[in-house]
Amino acid sequence: MLAARDISVNFNGRDVLRGVSLDLRESEIVALVGPNGAGKTTLIRTLNGTVVPTAGQVTLNERSLKSLPRRDVARSIAVVAQENETKFPVKVSEFVLSGRFVYRRGFGWETDKDVSAAKRALADCDLREFADRLMNELSGGERQRVVLARALASGAEILLLDEPTANLDLAHQAMMFRLVRERCEGGRASAVVITHDLNLTAEFADRVMLLKNGKVFALGAPTEVLTAENVASVFGVNVLLDQNPASGKVRVTAIFN
Amino acid sequence: MLLAAVLLLATALGSERISFLEMTQQQRTILFDIRLPRVLLGACVGASLAVAGASLQALLRNPLAEPYLLGVSNGAALGTMLAFVFFESFVLARPIMAFAGAGVATVVVYQMARGRAGMNVERLVLSGVIVTTFLSSIIVLLTGLLDAARLRGFTFWLLGDLSQATWTGFYLTIAAAVLGTILLTSQSRALNLMMIGERDAMDFGVEVGRVRLMVFGTSSLLVGTAVAASGSVGYVGLIVPHLVRLAAGSDNRVVVPCSAIVGAAFVVLADTFARTAIAPRELPVGAITALIGAPVFIYLLRRN
Amino acid sequence: MSLAAAVLLALTFACDKPDDIAKSTDAGRFIKDDLGREVRMPLKLERAVSLAPSITELVFAAGAGDKLVGVTTYCDFPAEARSIQKIGDTQTPNIESIIALKPLVVFVSTASQLEAFAKTLEEQSIAVYVVDVRGIDDVPNVVRQIGEFFGTLDRANSAADSLFKRMEAARANGTTTNRPRVFVQLSEEPLFTIGRDSFLTALIERAGGLSATGDLPTGYPKLSKETASALHPNVIILSASDDNQRPNDVFRDSPAVKTGRVFKVNADILSRPGPRLVDALEEISKDLTGGGSGTANLSVPK
Repeated sequence: MLAARDISVNFNGRDVLRGVSLDLRESEIVALVGPNGAGKTTLIRTLNGTVVPTAGQVTLNERSLKSLPRRDVARSIAVVAQENETKFPVKVSEFVLSGRFVYRRGFGWETDKDVSAAKRALADCDLREFADRLMNELSGGERQRVVLARALASGAEILLLDEPTANLDLAHQAMMFRLVRERCEGGRASAVVITHDLNLTAEFADRVMLLKNGKVFALGAPTEVLTAENVASVFGVNVLLDQNPASGKVRVTAIFN
Repeated sequence: MLLAAVLLLATALGSERISFLEMTQQQRTILFDIRLPRVLLGACVGASLAVAGASLQALLRNPLAEPYLLGVSNGAALGTMLAFVFFESFVLARPIMAFAGAGVATVVVYQMARGRAGMNVERLVLSGVIVTTFLSSIIVLLTGLLDAARLRGFTFWLLGDLSQATWTGFYLTIAAAVLGTILLTSQSRALNLMMIGERDAMDFGVEVGRVRLMVFGTSSLLVGTAVAASGSVGYVGLIVPHLVRLAAGSDNRVVVPCSAIVGAAFVVLADTFARTAIAPRELPVGAITALIGAPVFIYLLRRN
Repeated sequence: MSLAAAVLLALTFACDKPDDIAKSTDAGRFIKDDLGREVRMPLKLERAVSLAPSITELVFAAGAGDKLVGVTTYCDFPAEARSIQKIGDTQTPNIESIIALKPLVVFVSTASQLEAFAKTLEEQSIAVYVVDVRGIDDVPNVVRQIGEFFGTLDRANSAADSLFKRMEAARANGTTTNRPRVFVQLSEEPLFTIGRDSFLTALIERAGGLSATGDLPTGYPKLSKETASALHPNVIILSASDDNQRPNDVFRDSPAVKTGRVFKVNADILSRPGPRLVDALEEISKDLTGGGSGTANLSVPK
């Protein structure tokens, strides 16, 4: 699977990440939390190879990420990030199908397999009626779901998600995490999810990595990591911890005075 | 299909009447030695410029990218002029230096347009304007140093002139047009992703650096050979891909090859007008494409 | 740009206005120039500037070349013109240099963009006189007129008479029947020729030929190769410049090329509406009657 060993990343003289290590196991969801500027997005980008670490190494299935061509990396890793607005009229179905890029070399048209993967992803993300609509006609939240659908359609077994619920309404936030959870169960995939929502984290994540100033502050099960001291230390906010009566998981409530 | 019809029409029209049923020897000469190479060259130039425009737009994520507006055409024109001034007898020097000029201009505009956060649309248009005008002034300076006789010839050519079509010039241009279209069509899947975003493309397996190099190199080749043959025919790379996208969507696997065909038809039609409107005198074809292109450009700017 | 303005301002305020000096020594009179403009010409013209090579040649022909104080960079005939101070070219004259030379009149042709500088010069009390030679027939008269301005009327008159005699002689020698069709090629690629507004069209006719493109509008059109190949000229005249050494390929089956009647003529005498138009007339007339001397017979190389 995916492993980061002692990653450091330096941008313009600033240490964005220092000595971060993570071993992503099969079927697990790791939540990546921390204040803004902690280095979460940089870590995601380092994990998929678009950022090259100044020290340390990332390996995919025991092979160094640097040595792999982009297609091989993309076969295994898919990213869900903030979407760029495109100035060209692109259909939702075309957008999602583009996630299947690596399954063909050179020129070629999509196969039935590609099309059905895309269809399934659209259905899973509650986007079936949107297939022929243009991307720039959709709302921010709808586009965000299309981006998720693209990653799901790609068939990659590692999903890296950068604040995937940012523009989504409540129903779709839960849907997003549930989809990721379903994918990861049964050994089909693993995921690293950046999120600001500590409750969703507690609900869905197997492990939590708490980042502060580019360093790993804590890594472990939600109950171990999401403690009042940790949260106060890293976020500077006092919280009240109790148990969510419905699910039995940790419930984090911020105290605002 | 459509292109064949347009070509046939174009060959039938000209400043001299040709009767296809009873062709005299003289008419045959006119047809095969003068009119046909010109029509075919126009088709190649149109295809080259349209394909270059379509792929640059996708690569640079900007519907307003186009060889003429980005200064690439002027780079090629400058290269051709320098080849003419310094290597007059070596005719192949012209397309070679045009290719070099186009390549340099492309790289300069690209570097100027890259902000810290990647490509910026406004910066790209601005960089294109700066490079175009800068190269224009160098070209004007150079023409000022030429004597009056050569000046006249160049001024017309700069505006886009297909009248100097020869069979040898045609072979080179058609080779480049075919090669370029094939190369760029092969990259069209990657371009579909790059059109959405460089980061997205990289995430999903595109070797962004390689695609960029291939597109820049091939479009410079296409623009270089087109300009060396016929001067600066502007706006073709802008209008044609847009028309194609309006009709057939943004999938580059369709847009790139169709742009070649529509581009060829467009220039052939424009040139047919240029050489019959005030026959037997001639207008520069670049003036016709600009007359049509500039208003379309304005319309597109406003839609954006 | 602002430097020029500063210089002009300085000249205006620092020196006595030439106008005052002129008033006291030179009464001046109003003459209509070739464009119908009222120009105040001095009675005694000792210093003048020419802004066109054709005008320079006309002034020298009128015997007043020593009174020219400034000419363009292209004014290379006669040889004496080369040593006169250069003040730019016809399209972009250097106004500061002109004013610094203190001429009384600046002679311009219709090729100059008058509006740009006429006012500036007139403010300096420098008259701007437009010379417009429309055809070869105007040449003797213009020479006389210029002689009158410069006070060299005797020399001018004899020059004009000689030119006129030569013109008449050429007319007499020219064929009146069986006028050959003549194509004048000004540049090979792109293909430029003369139209009805060019003075060369009438000149060809005077020389005994008929311009194949005499009915084309404008003076110097770019010609469609298709039409060119249908012209079948008997004679091709090449205005001899670097880009015009051979007839265009479309003429390879024309009578002119087949019979070798392709003649090169000095580009300057074909393009300058001045006294050497008569040289052109004589040369072309000789070529057309088959007695061409000093020109090369050319055919299109395969």
